[in-house]
Amino acid sequence: MPEPKVVTVTNTVKTTVPIVARPKGAQINDVKIYVVTAENYDEFVEKFTNKNGELVYIAISVKDYENLSLNFAELKRYIEQQKQIIVYYEEAVKPEDVISNTSQ
Amino acid sequence: MFNAIKIAMVMTVLATAGMGYLYVKRLQSNLEIAQANVAKMEVAIQVSEASIATLQADAVRNAELTATLQKDLQTAERYGDELRATLQKHNLTALAQRKPGLIENRMQDATNSLWNDLRSITDPNGVQLDDAGTQSSNSN
Repeated sequence: MPEPKVVTVTNTVKTTVPIVARPKGAQINDVKIYVVTAENYDEFVEKFTNKNGELVYIAISVKDYENLSLNFAELKRYIEQQKQIIVYYEEAVKPEDVISNTSQ
Repeated sequence: MFNAIKIAMVMTVLATAGMGYLYVKRLQSNLEIAQANVAKMEVAIQVSEASIATLQADAVRNAELTATLQKDLQTAERYGDELRATLQKHNLTALAQRKPGLIENRMQDATNSLWNDLRSITDPNGVQLDDAGTQSSNSN
């Protein structure tokens, strides 16, 4: 007499993760830059005082300006790459019906 | 004597018929179990085939997504690389010394452009162009 079979099957079920909203965009304030040399210092003092009311400023060397630029470039790269990785995960967990609709 | 033989024959026929009935019933029961087993195996095969198809489709899709991601990650490196190359190529100190007004405008434009890039890439609804902010002329 045959025994009733117990069948064990591995079924692949795709996890559906809800996509959360992105954070609000960065609020960036504009910054005025002055290039000051010994030759145009008086002109700078006048321009700067007229704009800001008093002659107090934070100076930065050209080398440090370059470093600041490179630091911002690194931050920009990091933000972009993080964003691309988030998009990758969002695409990877997208339900199959959404994938087939977008690919049509 | 003749009656006893008759009774024995009838009993034998009845016993044979009873055993035959039980044999057929057992065969039917075995057949039902076998059919149920076959049905279970068919379902199991279908589920397994569907799982294999899902895994294969996922593997293809993941490979595509990974390739796209690698390309995008590489693209994001371009801006920094170009900026480094530009800064190495030009002596900014000497240029600023010679033409402070011109360099001031260039720096201001580049800085404004960088702020715009940062606003753009952090905009939750924004659509980023493929080449936005990838060149040192686009931003600082």
